[in-house]
Amino acid sequence: MGVKVSLSKKYRSRGRKGGRDDVFSLDVSFEVGNELVVLFGRSGSGKTTTLRCIAGLEAPDRGSIVVNGKTYYDSDSGIDLQPQYRRPGYVFQNYALFPHMDVRKNIVYGLKGWDAVKKEARLFEMLRLLHIEGLEGRYPSQLSGGQKQRVALARALAPSPDILLLDEPFSALDMVVRMRLRERIKTIQKELGIPVLFITHSPEEAFSLADRVVVLHEGKVHQSGSPRQVFYSPVDRDVAELVGVSNIFEDGAVVGNSPEGFVLEGRGLQFVTGSDVSGSDTVSWGVRPENIHLMAYDKDLLSDDCNVFAGTVLDVTDKGSSKLMAVELDGSNVVLFCDVPTRLLDDAMGLRVIVNIAAQDVLVFE
Amino acid sequence: MLEDALIPLSITLKVAVLSTCLVAVFGILISYALARRDFRGKWLADILVTLPLVLPPTVTGYLLVVLLGKNGAIGSFLFEMTGWSLLFTWHAAVIAAFVVSLPLMVKTTASAISAVDRELEYAAYTLGHSELETMLFVTLPLAKKGILAGIVLSFARAVGEFGATLMVAGNIPGKTNTMSLSIYTAFQSGNDALANILVITLVVVSLLSMALAAKFVDRWSV
Repeated sequence: MGVKVSLSKKYRSRGRKGGRDDVFSLDVSFEVGNELVVLFGRSGSGKTTTLRCIAGLEAPDRGSIVVNGKTYYDSDSGIDLQPQYRRPGYVFQNYALFPHMDVRKNIVYGLKGWDAVKKEARLFEMLRLLHIEGLEGRYPSQLSGGQKQRVALARALAPSPDILLLDEPFSALDMVVRMRLRERIKTIQKELGIPVLFITHSPEEAFSLADRVVVLHEGKVHQSGSPRQVFYSPVDRDVAELVGVSNIFEDGAVVGNSPEGFVLEGRGLQFVTGSDVSGSDTVSWGVRPENIHLMAYDKDLLSDDCNVFAGTVLDVTDKGSSKLMAVELDGSNVVLFCDVPTRLLDDAMGLRVIVNIAAQDVLVFE
Repeated sequence: MLEDALIPLSITLKVAVLSTCLVAVFGILISYALARRDFRGKWLADILVTLPLVLPPTVTGYLLVVLLGKNGAIGSFLFEMTGWSLLFTWHAAVIAAFVVSLPLMVKTTASAISAVDRELEYAAYTLGHSELETMLFVTLPLAKKGILAGIVLSFARAVGEFGATLMVAGNIPGKTNTMSLSIYTAFQSGNDALANILVITLVVVSLLSMALAAKFVDRWSV
């Protein structure tokens, strides 16, 4: 059971203004169970095209798509089911509710051939499931963004689909509604036990929602695993950047061991990592901005302990709940970005600081 | 005198209503194909449908005569099969009105269909509805304003059709003398009284159909 996708497709992606179209080549394969899967990547990484290929709204050039043992597409045997025969639950980015039908008609639109009594029962079941009782007489134009999203979900789920596909469904909603709907989707996936594929470009959404994250970058799957694996052991630089590791050191040397772990050297600095890099000579590593700790400069704090550096604050960006500081480390041209959870330090520019990073937070990839 | 006005009126209404019905059906199908389907020679189909809009009606009429005459591609076939000649009958007037008003229907309807969000059609497909069902219950209802505008324009164009009708159907009293043709005849022969009656009748009919259409548009807009 689950979803097995392996497809390739070349298509013209929209070129930049005035520029020529680029030929984009999508080459994706992954296998997931009946779980909540997040397809994660930047816009233009091929997430939506992958989802549309699974739904049958676009055709791949080659490959195969199998959902719960049913072959949707297989280029070798010439199988290519129409979307009408795949009947995925599909929630479109812009909701795609039928504007000329009220909520009731929208939700029962997929219940073709059901008798009226059953239809009505299913309608109210769906309204209850998504907490939108009382809205059945309204038209889409009379609904808020969150309500539209719930109606779209209800419509997608009403015919009991084999798979639920969601294309950035929450991108236009505010924080609170977003968090509530995320929980709703999680619960629904547990209740129904069907595979749910969810597209997002938000690392936070990917981490909080997924049982499994599939990371897409420029048309390829770079990594597939639990959120913990993807976020704490990114396999390469692209994944590391996508999951928010912004301080990256490329092609450093493994120079030895210390009690805390392996010693890495790059750009004139030595870092100690908790990751096992035995057997490699050169590696890349990175540190999340929120894993870097800053203290006011004090000579006594400078020690030979691992990952302790002195530096100067070059720039401060206020993010509201925290501040992003650019710190240049002494004796090198390395600038680290540090996310400092403080509302103080309004005038930190030029401040001398001590930087400390735990060995386990130095993430190694490649 | 009254009969001289009523016969052209009934011929005009007969021709215009029939051609508008045909234009509505074929126009919607052609518009859907042009707006939503990809097929070979689509550009050519688009040009052929639009052509009567830019050609002088006499040229369209001439081409129809060439096509439908006893020696024409379609006309000869028809004559051999049924022994029936199309030219200079009121049926020919219907065909002339159809050909000249089709581009008005297709241009408005195709752009109305193109304006319907494709995601809505895709949504209907994923919910198990065929392309035909989706066209009938999603696409066309959402394009209904453009469709109705096209029908009104086509009807008006059919009522006012002159040049092509004169070429293919002639101006046979009691058979193919539509309002527009009769007004010209009455005016030419100095029968100003008849011309006045015909003109007033035509204006009233046109205003009535416009008012009726406006009322429908009002009721249809949700």
